[in-house]
Amino acid sequence: MTRYGMSIDIDRCTGCGACMVACAVENNIPPAPEGAGDRKGITWIRVFQVNNGEDGSNRKSAFVPVLCQQCGHETPCVSVCPQQAVRVDPQTGIVGQMPERCLGCRYCMAACPYHARYFNWWDPVWPPGMEKTLNPAVAPRMRGVVEKCNFCHGRWHAAKERAAAQNRREIDPGDYLPACVEACPTGAIRFGDLNDRASVPARDARQDGSFRLLEKLGTDPKIHYHSRQGWVRQIASAPSGKEKARG
Amino acid sequence: MQTTRRDLFKFAAGSAAGLVFTPVPWRLITDTALWSENWPGIPRPARGEIHTRFTNCALCPAGCAVRARCVGPQPVALTGLPGQPLCAFGLVGHHLPYHPGRVTQGALEQAAAAIAHRDPKASIAVLDLRPGRTASWTYRRAMAAIPHGLYLAPKRISPAVNLADAKTVLSFGAPLLEGWGTPASVFAARERFRLVQVEPVPSPTAALADLWLPIRAGSETALARAIAQLLRKQALPPEVAALTGIPEEQIVSVARQVAENGPALVVAAEEFPAMSELNRLLGSLGRTVFPRREAPVPESWTRAAAPVTTFASVADHSIGVLLIDESAPDTYLPWSVVQKKLVPYDPLVVTFASSRAGYGRHAQYLLPTAVYPEITSDLPPALHSAAATFRLAAPLVAPPAGVVDPPTFVARMARLPLTPALRERAGAIHQAGRGTVSTWRDGKSVPVRQVKFDDFWSALNEGGCWIDSQGPQAPAPQMESGSFADPPVEQSSLPLVVVTTAVPQPFSPLLSKLYGESNLRLSPGRIALHPETARQCGVTDGARAALETIRGRAAVQVSIDSGMPPGVVRVAATPALLDLCGPSARAKVVRV
Repeated sequence: MTRYGMSIDIDRCTGCGACMVACAVENNIPPAPEGAGDRKGITWIRVFQVNNGEDGSNRKSAFVPVLCQQCGHETPCVSVCPQQAVRVDPQTGIVGQMPERCLGCRYCMAACPYHARYFNWWDPVWPPGMEKTLNPAVAPRMRGVVEKCNFCHGRWHAAKERAAAQNRREIDPGDYLPACVEACPTGAIRFGDLNDRASVPARDARQDGSFRLLEKLGTDPKIHYHSRQGWVRQIASAPSGKEKARG
Repeated sequence: MQTTRRDLFKFAAGSAAGLVFTPVPWRLITDTALWSENWPGIPRPARGEIHTRFTNCALCPAGCAVRARCVGPQPVALTGLPGQPLCAFGLVGHHLPYHPGRVTQGALEQAAAAIAHRDPKASIAVLDLRPGRTASWTYRRAMAAIPHGLYLAPKRISPAVNLADAKTVLSFGAPLLEGWGTPASVFAARERFRLVQVEPVPSPTAALADLWLPIRAGSETALARAIAQLLRKQALPPEVAALTGIPEEQIVSVARQVAENGPALVVAAEEFPAMSELNRLLGSLGRTVFPRREAPVPESWTRAAAPVTTFASVADHSIGVLLIDESAPDTYLPWSVVQKKLVPYDPLVVTFASSRAGYGRHAQYLLPTAVYPEITSDLPPALHSAAATFRLAAPLVAPPAGVVDPPTFVARMARLPLTPALRERAGAIHQAGRGTVSTWRDGKSVPVRQVKFDDFWSALNEGGCWIDSQGPQAPAPQMESGSFADPPVEQSSLPLVVVTTAVPQPFSPLLSKLYGESNLRLSPGRIALHPETARQCGVTDGARAALETIRGRAAVQVSIDSGMPPGVVRVAATPALLDLCGPSARAKVVRV
């Protein structure tokens, strides 16, 4: 059984936003209408800038990419969905969202402790002509449904098809990478099977300085972060109030 | 049993109530959702055979290699090569042909006629915003063929740098980790050098530097001179700490670090003489700083080419006709700087651009051009390569009818023979027989002398890269050009110092993910202020305000950022705001 997960090295993230843009291109996420703002936009992966609250040269900043944490235990969004539109795939451990079942009640958004789910407030509209550039592997979602990161499920299907064409049951680990992982210029985001102890994210997860967001909630996220800086690790659990975040 | 009307009503009501507890309504909702997901209002991605093409990104001078996933002829995703990823702007370059602000029609005949009827005594100039291309050579040859012709570059081409060999990098505001050079080359070297970032505002590069010196805006030259004096074993001028806002002991410590932990490299957002002096004193010239070498050009071109003149060195009020090539924007000179060089009466300005965001707002004629990835051009020599390179931005989609090729327009104006300049240049490189050509499809590098010209040309058109075998040549570059803006003069009416943050133009509407749907970058039309400065200006976070300078005012939206130094306003530098601010600007923010 596979349990896909990620490790994100915060000390390597430069906040360039390439992951956010690559994700939007891969998953046919439209540009938000003018004035949509950061509350109503759709960013399946979003990079937040955090700092230690000091001033001048004592100020330390870091960039924290936040995406669906792919909770493995008592997944909050799965438990509240009245439509069974959210499902954990037992084959991969990926928490999938089925927009065609979604009612748009947004219970899942309220339940998600990571604010990693997004509601389509508008019909998906691209500037005239730009719809020609849409990824043929992913269907655009309509207005009124919730969506979120699914580790680029279209790429997983494509990798499965390639494996099947070569008479293989399992996909080659290098054949399936989410768009954000592929786009990251610093290699801060790494992806693999957490059940395979030799995989890069599984090794990263065992390192000193590794942590998960809001770990005390017991949701067993599959996104493991890493930072050598203590104040960054503190923010992930319970901000003291001195630190600041924006993004 | 007799059925009454009342029973019928009871049955109907009971059925209706019971239906709610069956799967029927839920099924109906699902079906409705399925239907609505596929209604005509939802765009449907094109289907077709998927294949891969290669080119080079023309959005900035870094010129990263690009792998395009195409459905039929249409690129649907751009990525870098393995280990050489693209930046956020490059990833969505294939959206630019559909930018809502794009201009595709212009008055070509009228512009040509207006240029033909110009005053023959007034000089005619081409301002090339990205010098070092084959198109630049066409402009130089054309300007040599025209009486009073001038070829202008916005500034002298900066030298190439070798980050890989540097152990300490002292950066005066250079956005080293934000798209300066190819991301791959910068990040590959990052772990080997210590980065000291001198910058007034906490930019992402400052945030990730090993040491950030929050300098007082406009005092960079003073700090560079002070470090130079320390390197010459002279005493530190006593007023430097107060002028720059950096403690004396920290300046001494930085000077010691760059001197002792070499090879060092000093870079800046914009070159200035003291920076060049620092590189000279640290012995960086020839070690981490090299002349930017150009690929060979046909000999006939070099014999009849106008010299490269920097814009600043042109006499004021001397240009009668100015042609501006904005098709590959790199440096934007504020309009007030450009205007100063034009003749006072009836100057003619023609710009080649894809939108009216830049000089198109001031020019009499805007002639529309192709945009990346429609454009066919070569890229200037790479910033991070000491050896000469030659790469083509080969088109992935066809440009629309009505767009103008600026070098062809200028060559026709100068009555130069219309020849395929890029192919001629490739011929000259092939004839020189030096270096290797790398192709991305098969990942091979082959010496040029083992390749026939047609194969060489095909490789270049498929995104291949020619790299010269000759390394850097002595003498090391002279870098006296350019100057940091003078420290802004105190003005009580305009109390704030303006610090600009570059916004690459044009960019895909999808970059709203960075600029609007998150606060990762300061979006165009926004300014950032320290909370105390905002309080003094009477504005709050998200409020509408006006930014006033001596050149006018513009509507902006306020962002409060506690990382900003007090007394400074940070502006996302679109061409319109750069025109408003100009060089070394002061401003005030007014609540509206």
